[in-house]
Formats: sequence, C-alpha cells, structure tokens
Amino acid sequence: MRHEIEVRQMVKTFGKKTALSGVNFHVRRGEIFGFLGPSGSGKTTMVKILTSQLLHTAGSVQVFGTDVSKLRDPSQLKRIGILTDNSGLYDRLTVYENLELFCRLYDVDVKRIDEVLEEVNLIQDKKTAVRKLSKGMKQRVTLVRALLHKPELLFLDEPTSALDPTNKKQIHESLRKLNESGTTIFLSTHDMQEAESLCQRLAFLDHGKIVELDNPHNLRVKYGDSTISLVLRNGSRIQIKQDEAGAQTVAQYIAKGELMSIHSNEPTLGEIFIQLTGRSLQ
Amino acid sequence: MTFSVQRVSAIIVKDVKDLFKNSYMILITILLPLGMAALLSDSDSDDASLLGMPINLALVITGAFVQATMMAEEKEKNTLRALLLSPATRMEIILGKSLLSSLITILVVIGSIFISKMHVPGLFYFTIMVVLSIVIFVSLGTIIGLISRTVMETSIVGLPVLVIFTYGSLISTTLDNPVFSTIISYLPTESFSAALIGLEQNGGFTEIKWHLLNMLLWAIGSLAIAVIVYGKRRFDN
Repeated sequence: MRHEIEVRQMVKTFGKKTALSGVNFHVRRGEIFGFLGPSGSGKTTMVKILTSQLLHTAGSVQVFGTDVSKLRDPSQLKRIGILTDNSGLYDRLTVYENLELFCRLYDVDVKRIDEVLEEVNLIQDKKTAVRKLSKGMKQRVTLVRALLHKPELLFLDEPTSALDPTNKKQIHESLRKLNESGTTIFLSTHDMQEAESLCQRLAFLDHGKIVELDNPHNLRVKYGDSTISLVLRNGSRIQIKQDEAGAQTVAQYIAKGELMSIHSNEPTLGEIFIQLTGRSLQ
Repeated sequence: MTFSVQRVSAIIVKDVKDLFKNSYMILITILLPLGMAALLSDSDSDDASLLGMPINLALVITGAFVQATMMAEEKEKNTLRALLLSPATRMEIILGKSLLSSLITILVVIGSIFISKMHVPGLFYFTIMVVLSIVIFVSLGTIIGLISRTVMETSIVGLPVLVIFTYGSLISTTLDNPVFSTIISYLPTESFSAALIGLEQNGGFTEIKWHLLNMLLWAIGSLAIAVIVYGKRRFDN
C-alpha cells in the first residue's frame, strides 16, 4: 500500500532547542492517523514541516512519495487541505465571498460551495458576514474551505479546540464522511477522545519524540492490566484477574444471581499516555 | 515557476470587495489625501516646494498605507497563511495586493491633481516619476505591513515614514541643520518635488536626470528590501 506520508529519522531544531528528534512514522493512504501529545510536544511543528511551512533540520520527509519541498508547487498544493485552530477568515466578507476566493485559487467550480455548505449545515448562513458567526461556525467555514477542492490528504491541527460538544460532533461526522470517500487525514490533537473516536492509528508524541505508535485497540490491550470489574446487585464493585480463578469467581456470582454487570478495564488513551510519559495530555 | 492570472485576479477581486466594506481604509487612506489636496488648492502660497505636495501626500498616504494595512490585516487575521498554503504563489499574492494598491494610488493621484487644480508639466516624465514613486511607497507599505503585528501598529510603525517623507523639507527648513538637510534632499519625495519644479520651469531630461536616478535607486532598493522582508516574515509564526 502506498504511504501518503513517510517520515524517517526526522530532526527539527530551533537554534539550540530541539523541537523534534528522531521521528519515524508513515501514514497509509485512506487512513486517519492521529498525532497525540500535550501542548508544546511538537505537534504543530510537525504539521508545519509536513505542509512545507517549515524546513526540517535532518532526516527525510516525503509527502505523496516525493520530498516535502515539492509541496510548494501549486499542482501539489491542490492535492492537500489544511485546517488549523487559527486558520483565518476575512471577517468583513460573507461566508460565500470567503469561499469564492478559494474556489478561484484552486480552480474549483463555485457550485461546489453550496454542496459543501450543505454537508456542514451552513447553507442558510452563506450570505452572512463572517464576523457575525460564532467560533464554532467559523471553524466549520474553515473546514469547508479546506474541503472545497476535495483534497487527497487533509492536515488537521487541533481542529476542534475550544468548540462545544455539538459542533465538535458535527465536525467529526464530516471528517468521517470525508475519510470514507477516500481522503487520508493527518490529525494533530491533544484531545484523546477526539483521537480515539476518529483515528485508525495513533502516535504519542512527548518532548519531540514518538514514544508509542499503534492502533487504539492494540494500545489498550498492551497497556491494560488484564482485569475486569464486576458490579454486584448489592451495589459493590469488585476487580478480578482474567485467569482461571477469576473465571470461577464470575461463575459463582452468576450462579447465585448476584451479578449485575461485567466491565473490561481497558485504559483510556489519556491513561496510557500518563503510563508512558508520567504526565497528562492537557 | 507557474503564474496564474486567474489567481492574481481572484486576490484583487477579494481585496476590492473587502476594501469597500472597510470604512477605516477609505476614510484615512483615500479621503484624507483628497481632503489635503482640497486644502492646498485654497493656498495662495507661491512656495515652489508646495507644488508637489498634493501628489506626494497621495503617494505616501495612499500608496504606503493601503498596502501596509492590507498586509498587516492579512497577517493579524491569519489569512495570509491561508493564502500562502493555497496554490497561489508568493509572487501572485504580493502582485495581487500591490496591483490594487497601485491602482487606488493612481486614482487618488489623479483626484488630487484635479482637486488641487495643479498644473502637470511634462506628462511623460511626470508619469515616470509617479510610477517610480508608486513602486517605492507600495514597497515601503509592504515592509511596514509585514513588520507590524497588527493593523493599529502600522500607524505607529508608519508614522516616521509619513512625517519624514511628506514634511521632510518643512522640518529641514525649521531645523536649519546642514547634515539633516542633505539627508532630506535625497528623499524620493524631495526628488519628486525638485523634478516637478524643473519641469515647471520648462526643463527637460538634463535638468531632472539626477532626481530620476535618485528615485530609480530608491525604487530598486525599497523593492529589494520588501522582497527580503516578505520572504522572511510572510508566515506569522
């Protein structure tokens, strides 16, 4: 399978400060790949390098099978979309006028604007000046802008930060639909729930280094403690090991009719991150 | 390197729409020089240095500040980053913005000439001087816009430019300092006024060549600095 992104032994330094060190990963075509880490871990620097806004200091970075520097070519830029939490819009212009500009820059038919605005439930606001929109609505407009040209590869840097749960859910649904239609997504976030609900594979980033990389299920199994929790009819909760003795205990509670529910004790991504780094994602 | 007229025109159309919705820009950078031209039209002064004042005001205020405000706002609102990450090349973006600033400046210069009832001597050389001045002040506007963090900051950063370039000769007369006067005499606005006086006195290329050369050097220098600053400051990291 072709890799849309391939990063090998990548290093980025700012003067004497190392922002990213020995970074290795690849993103497969058609997957949602998450880059999870707390603020200051190097996520935004990574997105800037992958979108050719910053040059890496050492190592190799390839996007679409060629060196990332080729991304500066307009024909290559048409293949990617970028959404960050500070993507700007022209406040005085309407939603339509903002998107019209980018249709012309990407050589896309302006009819596409209505189509994408419908998808994110913003069609009724297309003639509204952007300054009159809420933060959530503005973020959806920037998402629309990133999707107008149907990019093959979409970079998202904290796409739902500071959004309320309803707006977040709406954006997540749009991203899933987009991914189903074939777009590869690189998601950089510190929101573990977002990463868990969207990503097929995840890399944990801490102090500029990838400390773990796998799919969410494998990570939970790997860092789980192989126990289950039983909730009994009297309200008490007990934790038992998943072994022969544990199986007998469960059977006894079932036989006595005392068992109400059984729960697996898989750790959350946030808990795994703490196990790995000793600090939280926030 | 690819170049797309469609992308340049898209940026110009967007900026025109934005400009008409921006009362600050219209009031300060377009109506102010026209108002000053109206004031100067009522002046009975015979001072030859005042001859080029309406044009210099239009060039400095409109040429430099329309561009500075547009660049600073793109940076402040993070829209320059969005443009730079689109297929529009750096050249297309800066060209789109500069062409609009230049067009507005030309219109304000023409308006100022009519309002101030100024007689334009030697149209051919006058046109060359205006074109050189537009290159100089749009480049200076680009530099001011890129080094300012906000639109408001362009006023502070650009104030020395406004004062020195527009009122340099008046300050020079007041201070009566030979070193300062020599420095001021090399300003493009001073060359513009001096060349205008030369043309007014039926002078030709021989009389104004050193002023034209000075303006040409300013145009090349300011354009080069603007290109360097744009290369370094375009991403508002």
